Amino acid sequence: MSAKTPGARTARWMGGALLAALVACLSCGRGAKEPGPKPIVIGVSVLNLSSEFVVMVKDAMDAKARGLGVQLIVNDAQRDAATQVRQAENFIAQKVDAIILNPCEFEASSPAVDEARAAGIPIVNVNSETRSVPTAFVGSRDEESGRIAMEYIARRLGGRGNVLMMQGFMGQAAQIERDRGAREILAKNPGLKLLADQTADWDRAKAMTLMEDWIQSYGPSIDAVFAHNDEMAIGAVIALEQAKRKDKVVVAGVDAIADGLQAVKQGRLDATVFQDAKGQGATAVEIAVKIVRKQPYAKETFIPFQLVTGKNVDRFQAH
Amino acid sequence: MGRAQVKEPGSNRSAARLRPGQWGMILALVTMSTALSIARPAFLTLPNLVNLIRQISINGILAVGVTSVLLTGGVDLSLGSLVALTGVIAASFAHPRQYPPAAPILMGVLAGAGCGAVNGWVITKGRVAPFVATLGMMTAARGLALVLSGGRPVSNLSSEFTWMGSGDVAGIPIPSLVFFCVALASHVFLNNLKVGRHIYAVGGNENAARASGIDVNAVRMLAYTTCASLAGLAGVLLASRITTGQPNAGVGYELDAIAAAVIGGTSLSGGVGGVGGTILGALLMGVIDNGLDLVNVSSYYQQIVKGAIIIGAVWMDRSRES
Repeated sequence: MSAKTPGARTARWMGGALLAALVACLSCGRGAKEPGPKPIVIGVSVLNLSSEFVVMVKDAMDAKARGLGVQLIVNDAQRDAATQVRQAENFIAQKVDAIILNPCEFEASSPAVDEARAAGIPIVNVNSETRSVPTAFVGSRDEESGRIAMEYIARRLGGRGNVLMMQGFMGQAAQIERDRGAREILAKNPGLKLLADQTADWDRAKAMTLMEDWIQSYGPSIDAVFAHNDEMAIGAVIALEQAKRKDKVVVAGVDAIADGLQAVKQGRLDATVFQDAKGQGATAVEIAVKIVRKQPYAKETFIPFQLVTGKNVDRFQAH
Repeated sequence: MGRAQVKEPGSNRSAARLRPGQWGMILALVTMSTALSIARPAFLTLPNLVNLIRQISINGILAVGVTSVLLTGGVDLSLGSLVALTGVIAASFAHPRQYPPAAPILMGVLAGAGCGAVNGWVITKGRVAPFVATLGMMTAARGLALVLSGGRPVSNLSSEFTWMGSGDVAGIPIPSLVFFCVALASHVFLNNLKVGRHIYAVGGNENAARASGIDVNAVRMLAYTTCASLAGLAGVLLASRITTGQPNAGVGYELDAIAAAVIGGTSLSGGVGGVGGTILGALLMGVIDNGLDLVNVSSYYQQIVKGAIIIGAVWMDRSRES
């Protein structure tokens, strides 16, 4: 038992250190408060801050909030709708002036909207929708991105050829709608044949593996690949380059993330579809502030998607 | 040789020769491969087999690493997060013309080793259960990867660095060569070195091992550190293969690695198993993934089929053993 005492002492010491660190963290968080006119406070719950796109939306919100002199409290729901609803409840309890919600899920995030509206706090949904209707919505129509990308492929192939489609994470709104948009265009072009479609879960490594397998299965008959996001499109490009087939296959993605734009500029990726993260984030804050200040605002704002190819990529990289 | 008495029955042959129990897995492997090559002639072609050995190498390296940990009776859930963390760190040292080409590899592996040492320290000194300690590391390492990368993939990597993931030597992909070397080294380590035999002894019966003079804590420390160093190596290879350090890469890789080891006959309660079986386990999982893509099984059904094959293969093993 004598061996146990130093261990227990270390444990107590470490527990004390952890507690001290926690208190220090909490007090820095509170340190920003200053006397003066009470600024507008907006609670923000975002889908997932480990996604580059969501980080871009969040950065745009921060910039806009600084410009307008309002305070943002940003919480990360880490893809979990239950966490997101809890965060919204905390915002309601803190009596924030407005909430901006970047919903995790169509159904499961809806209680956040319902509870905010019941408490009389305006709520703006950004990027994706929920079943419950928020005070205002800012986003893009995802099926439009699928349409734009597949139309580009149809144009490049002259309406005839074999296409493969890499799906996003199955069941997510973006995957379902990008799939729907792409299939609309496929239906309009009977010369385009969908050889196969599989999910690569938005993931570059999985997309590489899938593309390698497809090259084995379909080889020279592949004319084009549409991937539901740029990460997967780049994975497909790398696999095609390694098989020395990239010059024979058209590849298009969606999102226009930094890596995607770079790949378009280098001529490796043929096209991507620009989803305006900055426009979405900034507009969401703008509208939330308008609602709080009782100014007129648009109930629905759709930020359009734009096709990015080698011809216009410079404009987006500077963006 | 003086330690022969601490060997667990059955374990001394496990990695060198096939135990009867492993026939279930071999049968599954052969059946799958035969069915696939009939359904899709593309399966049994040289380019696809090269694909296959490249695709299994990252899971294979992780699975070989986790085999040692499982043999001590522990588990390591932090591997997937460590792959992301070490990939981000390696990528940060892999921008063109900044550091020598060896720097990203070294930094990735060292970062892995450091995290593994922390795992080992918490488990041995703090007497925290391996499941909990490595679960904590899984969360913390993911957070650190996000902090270091600012939530964005680390890109613009030198061609020397990305060559590792895409290049080959005499037609054999480099990740596969690394996997082969790692597997061979681990096999020799576990079977021919005294300390390797101690790993079996600790997992087989910890008290007996301690009584026979083995420094149990040192052995476990070594297992966790080696395992996480290999996760670092896997992280470097993944970053090189996908040409970026992705803070959200590697989710669920630890479970694939553990599954490969367990399918290969390594016991979750320690002391039984070996690298040979783990390699076959990783191969079976790779054939399933590759094959289901080739025959274009719908995304929804792929996961069901995969789960059923994994359970089936292990079930056959266990029923033969008893």
